Amino acid sequence: MSVAKTLSASDVEIGATLPPMTIKASPTFIISTALATRDFQDVHHDRDAAVARGSEDIFLNILTDNGLVQRFVTDWAGPEALVRSIDIKLGVPCYAYDTLTFTGTVTDRVTVDGEQRWVVEVVGTGNLGDHVRGTVHIALPEEAS
Amino acid sequence: MTTDATDTASRSDAATAQASAGNAPAADAQADRIRRAAELIAARGPSAPVLGRDPVNQAMVNTWTEAMGDANPVYTDASAAESSVHGGLVAPPAMAQVWTMRGLHGTRAEDDPLGAMMLALDEEGFTSVVATNSSQTYHRYLRPGEHVAASNRLESVVGPKQTALGEGWFVTTCTTWTVGEETVAEMTFRVLKFRPTSSRPSVREGARIIEAPEYADGVLRPVTSRDTAFFWAGTQVGELRIQRWGDTLRHPPGPVDPGGDLDAKPDYIVARGTGTVYSYVVHHHPKVPGKRLPFVVALVELDEGVRVLGELIDVDPDEVAIGLSVRAVFLRVDEDLTLPAWEVVR
Amino acid sequence: MRTARRSESLGSGTARRSEAGLSGKAAIAGIGATEFSKDSGRSELRLSSEAVRAALADAGLEPTDVDGLVTFTMDNNAEIAVARELGIGELRFFSRIGYGGGAAAATVQQAAMAVATGTADVVVAYRAFNERSGHRFGQVSSAAAQQVNTSGIDNSFTYPMGIATPAATVAMLARRYLHDYGATSEDFGRIAVIDRANAATNPNAWFHGKPITLADHQASRWIAEPLRLLDCCQESDGGVALVIVSAERARELPQPPAVVRAAAQGSGPDQYVMTSYYRDELAPLPEMNVVGRGLWRQAELSPSDVDVAVLYDHFTPYVLLQLEELGFCGRGEAKDFIAEGRLELDGSLPLNPHGGQLGEAYIHGMNGIAEGVRQLRGTAANQVAGAETVLVTAGTGVPTSGLVLTLS
Repeated sequence: MSVAKTLSASDVEIGATLPPMTIKASPTFIISTALATRDFQDVHHDRDAAVARGSEDIFLNILTDNGLVQRFVTDWAGPEALVRSIDIKLGVPCYAYDTLTFTGTVTDRVTVDGEQRWVVEVVGTGNLGDHVRGTVHIALPEEAS
Repeated sequence: MTTDATDTASRSDAATAQASAGNAPAADAQADRIRRAAELIAARGPSAPVLGRDPVNQAMVNTWTEAMGDANPVYTDASAAESSVHGGLVAPPAMAQVWTMRGLHGTRAEDDPLGAMMLALDEEGFTSVVATNSSQTYHRYLRPGEHVAASNRLESVVGPKQTALGEGWFVTTCTTWTVGEETVAEMTFRVLKFRPTSSRPSVREGARIIEAPEYADGVLRPVTSRDTAFFWAGTQVGELRIQRWGDTLRHPPGPVDPGGDLDAKPDYIVARGTGTVYSYVVHHHPKVPGKRLPFVVALVELDEGVRVLGELIDVDPDEVAIGLSVRAVFLRVDEDLTLPAWEVVR
Repeated sequence: MRTARRSESLGSGTARRSEAGLSGKAAIAGIGATEFSKDSGRSELRLSSEAVRAALADAGLEPTDVDGLVTFTMDNNAEIAVARELGIGELRFFSRIGYGGGAAAATVQQAAMAVATGTADVVVAYRAFNERSGHRFGQVSSAAAQQVNTSGIDNSFTYPMGIATPAATVAMLARRYLHDYGATSEDFGRIAVIDRANAATNPNAWFHGKPITLADHQASRWIAEPLRLLDCCQESDGGVALVIVSAERARELPQPPAVVRAAAQGSGPDQYVMTSYYRDELAPLPEMNVVGRGLWRQAELSPSDVDVAVLYDHFTPYVLLQLEELGFCGRGEAKDFIAEGRLELDGSLPLNPHGGQLGEAYIHGMNGIAEGVRQLRGTAANQVAGAETVLVTAGTGVPTSGLVLTLS
């Protein structure tokens, strides 16, 4: 079998927007992603501990933000898009029962080490405001595969 | 009871103690200590590479992709991956950090600069941490079986900064992930190490705060008001705070100047905490919630001249007498309540 | 150390026009009570209704004659509930007095002021509770600690630290009293022995037929050192009511009137409820000093004129302090004053002939007022011959009150 279609460089224009992605941050989601990233800090799985430390509830860990940003971009770009860097900055926390909506825009094209890369700016917004802002560099095949 | 503070030696001590909350020289000294610690830790350079708990493996990749909801077949479908640009299964790049996470029972390496810096900030009262930035660069995709090692170095420590979470320091570290000699990924990671605005301020130096969770069971909690809240805030940080109206001390506190000046505003002194037993009770019956029978309660005349009531702990009731020298200790019942108490000066 | 006092004592020994105006204007014309027990088996409202009915019957009056009711803020029976039960109908006057047992004599003062001014004609003061089988005052009261008002704030500096029962609050002061004046636990015990001796010959007393010795007192267990079990009053179920009318009207009723010769309330500087621990001196009882001065001024009498003293005795040390504050002896001299048999029935100042609250019952001081009336009528179980002037005091350690009752 062959993998799903991946965008080629010629399919992408600066200013293109990505289809939004919605994530329901249920307690199960927050806990299973924390454990899948080997992050055992109590604030990501123990509501009492999180509250005792001044949080409203358990909240999403930063390694999961990395994973979600990556998924958001490759869901759009296709399975063979090559992720070269993910730079994220966290804003308000994403507590359990929040819903995150990721939106993204292609903002630039740069050449690094002779490779052409697309720069995608990503924002993940929850009920409290912007939870994560990020910049992802991807490389795309020159031709459609 | 009110008493004239000018008759006591405590006035200047107290004024100093009170001013120290926002005392600029003290804060500067703390910042200097933190910066010095940061310089020393940064000067050590990168830590020795530490291998991850397991090599890159399919089981962890599967768990990760399921949790994230990432359906990209190049991570999990061998035949799809083989026909892809990768020519075989690869791990998600965003898992780079996962491979070297310490896990539930892992300990930091002794030369880990982030651990050392966290400890230094803990000691200064910046006890909470939140990640703020992660900037990862992936030089290539990893494949199952590769064993990744991580090495960290301290990049910078910047502060103190006032943030929405509280006053804190931004600690930036750089991580290099290697497979053998090859660098496969790099990360700049920043955390905010902060003193939560809601948490207890640091405890007064020399104060004896005794964890007393056994008192919590049914303890009669004080009703507080705008007039008395400062007293209870004080016990939480090991301070016996006595209301002051001009030169007059007053305990228990109240909202009006004993001199009758409605425009006067009170402040408080932090009592030295030493005094003598003015009277006392050995309570035998009936049971009192949170207390073990028999117990001693002493009305103590502080050196500053006012009387304050509290349990006299760790004492044989037969040893207690009027005039006995005692000093204040603090029984920390729980997050919300710390009771003033006394111990015998021996 | 210099203490900044915010209020100075009243000082004057002369009668104030407004106070003297009450003297002799009202009288207690009827007294009534339920039995005193440890388990009444009925509601507090039932007890108060029975006591009021008994007092009215004693006065030769009907419920429909009543147009005023007074009780303690601590009483659980609303005036309107009592009025409904007894068919009292319209009320023109109702009032409550605070500070626990300190209210006792003040309920009579309120009633006396009402009838003296024509605000009401027949006022009944009552107090009834199941204080043993129901809510026991001797236990720790979390409600007292947790009330959201200034008393709750006051209690925040005592209850959480472990001073959480009446006995403990008194013990703090008693310890200092022993220290300051060289008294001993035996001096406290002598009060208990007198009360119990009187109760032993009072058929209505719970401890009828059960006198104690000083050795019994000394052998009784510690409650809150330096207070022993036998320094502490009983916990009782029961009710007492008193009918107050104008002195003129009282003379037309069947019973010999017990005239309210003086009625006073008192609160001292830096006053707390049971925990006035921040005064320059801990061991005096300035609130009772205020009451005493008020009483002697109004009555134009002095301590030496008193034939019977019914002194509030929820805890024995406070009887000694009252003797001092009311002027029977100097400060710190009570231990010597009582040692000479003065307080016994045949002494110069017979104390609590009914047995007091240690011996008869703890009805928050109201049974002591009823005893004062019986002494004047000459109908008491332990009658003091020729009793014409009776002093009755209310709860101590709290803002309090007192009465001087006379035969005419």
